[in-house]
Amino acid sequence: MKEQLNALRERALAELADLEQPKELEEFRVRLLGKKGEVTALLRGMGALPAEDRPAMGQLINQLRNELENALDAKEQEITSRLKEQRLLAERLDVTLPGKAADEGGLHPLNIVLADLIDIFQSMGFDVVDGPEVETEHYCFEALNVPKDHPARDMQDTFYLAENLLLRTQTSAAQIRTMEQRKPPIRMICPGRVFRADEVDATHSPVFHQVEGLVVDKGITMCDLKGVLEQFAHEIYGSDTKVRFRPSFFPFTEPSVEVDVSCSACGGKGCRVCKGNGWIEILGAGMVHPRVLAGCGIDPEVYSGFAFGIGLDRLTTTRYKISDIRLLFENDKRFLDQF
Amino acid sequence: MLCSGEELCLKEADYPGAEEYGILILKEDVPTGTDMREILHLNDVIIDFSITSNRPDCQSVLGIAREVAVALKREFRAPTPVYQTAGGDIHDHIAITVQDYDLCPRYMGRIVRNLRIAPSPDWMKDCLRAAGMRPINNIVDITNFVMLETGHPMHAFDLRDIAGNQIIVRRAADGEPITTLDGKDHVLNSDMLVIADAEAPSCLAGIMGGLNSEIKDDTTDLLFECAKFRRDSVRRTARALGMRTESSARFEKGVDTRGTEYAMNRALQLIAELDAGDIIDGVIDCHEELAEDRVLRVTADSITALLGVKIPTDAIVDILNRLEIRTVLEGDTLVCTVPSFRDDIEGRADLAEEVMRVYGYDHIVATPMTGSIIRGKKLPERIHTDLLKSTLIAQGMREISTYSFISSKAPDTLNLAADDARRNAVTLINPLGEEYSTMRTQLVSSMLTVLSTNHNRKNTAVRFFEVSKLFVPHALPLTEQPDEIPALALGLYGDGEDFFTLKGIVETLLERFALRVEFTRSEEPYLHPGRQAAVVAGGEVIGVFGEVHPDTADTYDLGVRTYVAQLTLAPLFAAVEKKHTLYKPLPRFPAVERDLALLCDEELPVAEIERTIRSAGGHLLESVKLFDVYQGAQIAAGKKSVAFSLYFRGADATLTDADIDPALKKIFDRLQEKGCTLRT
Repeated sequence: MKEQLNALRERALAELADLEQPKELEEFRVRLLGKKGEVTALLRGMGALPAEDRPAMGQLINQLRNELENALDAKEQEITSRLKEQRLLAERLDVTLPGKAADEGGLHPLNIVLADLIDIFQSMGFDVVDGPEVETEHYCFEALNVPKDHPARDMQDTFYLAENLLLRTQTSAAQIRTMEQRKPPIRMICPGRVFRADEVDATHSPVFHQVEGLVVDKGITMCDLKGVLEQFAHEIYGSDTKVRFRPSFFPFTEPSVEVDVSCSACGGKGCRVCKGNGWIEILGAGMVHPRVLAGCGIDPEVYSGFAFGIGLDRLTTTRYKISDIRLLFENDKRFLDQF
Repeated sequence: MLCSGEELCLKEADYPGAEEYGILILKEDVPTGTDMREILHLNDVIIDFSITSNRPDCQSVLGIAREVAVALKREFRAPTPVYQTAGGDIHDHIAITVQDYDLCPRYMGRIVRNLRIAPSPDWMKDCLRAAGMRPINNIVDITNFVMLETGHPMHAFDLRDIAGNQIIVRRAADGEPITTLDGKDHVLNSDMLVIADAEAPSCLAGIMGGLNSEIKDDTTDLLFECAKFRRDSVRRTARALGMRTESSARFEKGVDTRGTEYAMNRALQLIAELDAGDIIDGVIDCHEELAEDRVLRVTADSITALLGVKIPTDAIVDILNRLEIRTVLEGDTLVCTVPSFRDDIEGRADLAEEVMRVYGYDHIVATPMTGSIIRGKKLPERIHTDLLKSTLIAQGMREISTYSFISSKAPDTLNLAADDARRNAVTLINPLGEEYSTMRTQLVSSMLTVLSTNHNRKNTAVRFFEVSKLFVPHALPLTEQPDEIPALALGLYGDGEDFFTLKGIVETLLERFALRVEFTRSEEPYLHPGRQAAVVAGGEVIGVFGEVHPDTADTYDLGVRTYVAQLTLAPLFAAVEKKHTLYKPLPRFPAVERDLALLCDEELPVAEIERTIRSAGGHLLESVKLFDVYQGAQIAAGKKSVAFSLYFRGADATLTDADIDPALKKIFDRLQEKGCTLRT
């Protein structure tokens, strides 16, 4: 009987070593250890042994059974891990193949830049307001100290819709609406679409966009204006950007200034971008004209303020080095996808 | 190189012999190899100034010189006009009457006789040419020279052509004609100021002289005019007649009433200097009382308070005086007398600017904003628009931007009916052209144009959106501001895009804004009649979407199935205002799924079946999901098969058949009423 056991052990272990597939292993397990398996048959055959031999023999058979079970488990693990390795190897990819990206959407470049501006000014306490695009002469001109037939109206060729109605030529109209509706302290920007009768070319569009800014409070000075614009310039053009005021004229501000920033391409040394003078004109600004304040019921002896107007399209074309403003309104997907 | 004078665009006055036929022969004494610019006196330095419209006083050499003197801290010296007169009396030759002082506050006349008309000396010709003017003869040149030097336009009349020896400054009669010296005929109206003689207008005041009274080669006696005309009057007249001259440009911006005297004297001095005629004694100077120089009283502190820069008071006084704003200090008050040529100076803000621009803007130090305001707010509409855009972008949509005005033919391209409300559009009075002439009442045509551009440039698939305004007039012709209605356009084409991808985008958006809507069949002429739907919220159509009609696609040269939508945004914004998100506990028990395959009439909308299931399903029915719609071999003609998965779930137990069967029974009953049968 012992010899029989040893023979079985040897044969089983030898056979096991040759197995490769999980299915073969399972069949083998059933053949040895199943209900009708060889080891089970040995246990059953113990009935034929003398009673005194049975315990020792039982022990031996159980020993063999455990031994074979362990060997089977080990073999199973070996096969599983080998198969897994094979699978992983077979599943190797060319990782340089292109990804499967969904087509990404996005904002129009003008609105990407606008979002930045809103963020900058909102963090400085500016409310973001809106105004109508069809304006009356009162809001677009008269209340901004540009009376009828004033030469300042020559500066902008206006699209008229009716006797007194026009497409606003500047977001400054929103200054008046804001000051009429709210009392100081006022800190607002008004982004919006504006219109001027300019023929379309690489740098002109009859439809373009401005961001108007207005601050009115007690004790507001030109230094505050410079402070706000410097903050804006640092955020947009980099923190070492310098800001320069040059005298200018707008009917609704006094003093009025053109605002230049040091050229970020050459750091102010002079290059092609800044046409050699080291500065780039970015916006017009000034202290709100006392007559404009008074017209809105704000006492210019008590309050002062400043206003500025940023050309969003220009800011966008310079930021992205877009050579032709018409691209902004053509909306070619290959253009839009770049932003 | 051999050239004719004509080839070099030269006139006789530029170089003798320039107008002769053939090669221009230079004078004998010109050495060979001399730069032609030297010979023609074209090598002067020309400085271009950009003059802001508040500074008409700087539209002259003297005005600029005054500024330069201030900037360089140098003395400003203007020529002192002195000349000899030849006796006589102006009143023997001319009478001048101003009828309309409101348009002509000052009119001054002088007579010069025995004219000796000749070319001007080279120095004067060079100056005129450098300023872009063509030398004519000494008389005309003097008027132009004085205008450039002093900023005061001058005019010279041939005295013999002034009928009745009378000058009358008056409004034209309606329909009165004039031929200006450029040979053009104009018909005038009573809003226009003319300089007339006893019979007819002789000159358009401040704009251009008349052909009949211009200075001719044989003119012997002249009348010099130097006047101040109201700028808005000149501007209106010049605009109305489509004229713009050096003279009108200056009057439009503003000419100093007091400076006329200086300009006139300067012209006479030049007459004497060039020996161009004999100056008759006497001046006729018509004006109402001339305004005194204005006196402004401000404190130095009020100036520096606006600037935020401490400028010593004596520096302020010094700067203002150098600018010829005569300033003295009385206590701490600056008493400033503003010269007449600076009528832009009205108060302390103007004085502050004068002081600062001379003192130097570099002295302005940036200070950070202070005050009680911490963080700015956005208007709700802007917040909602941001949400709208981010929702669309998350679905792979690109934002576009198009003009607010479109072609007046846009409604035709969309086949809109003759009585369609969208044809009631606001039009521009002065558009750049027909294609930009109408404020849009819909965003679809702009979207189709952009889609077409992209398709024709071989962009194979696009998803676009635009958020913009519709301009809807209350009445036409326009009497008040139109409504500006925020709206959204969607447009897409490409592989895999169909009616339902567009609908999916619309649904996602509506869900994001918590707006409950129904989709019903719609009848937009520019959309496929069987593939379009209206978005209905609270009984009101808030938008439409669908596949573009083949005819419209042809109009826009879109050789691909294209899908567009337009929604008005106010209902979405209103809905999202009410949206209040609260956490719902996650389910603790599994849902039980029952599939339902139905056979029904093919015309029965699936949405109606779904609505029926939901309303009959009771509170245990959690969700209903369509998973198949089929028509074909196994289905009778005129019928369709529709299959749903129904999910039931209990809040506190796993449901059994006994729980669900009553609900299913009720659903079957209701569906039977709709003509649905169960497929087995």
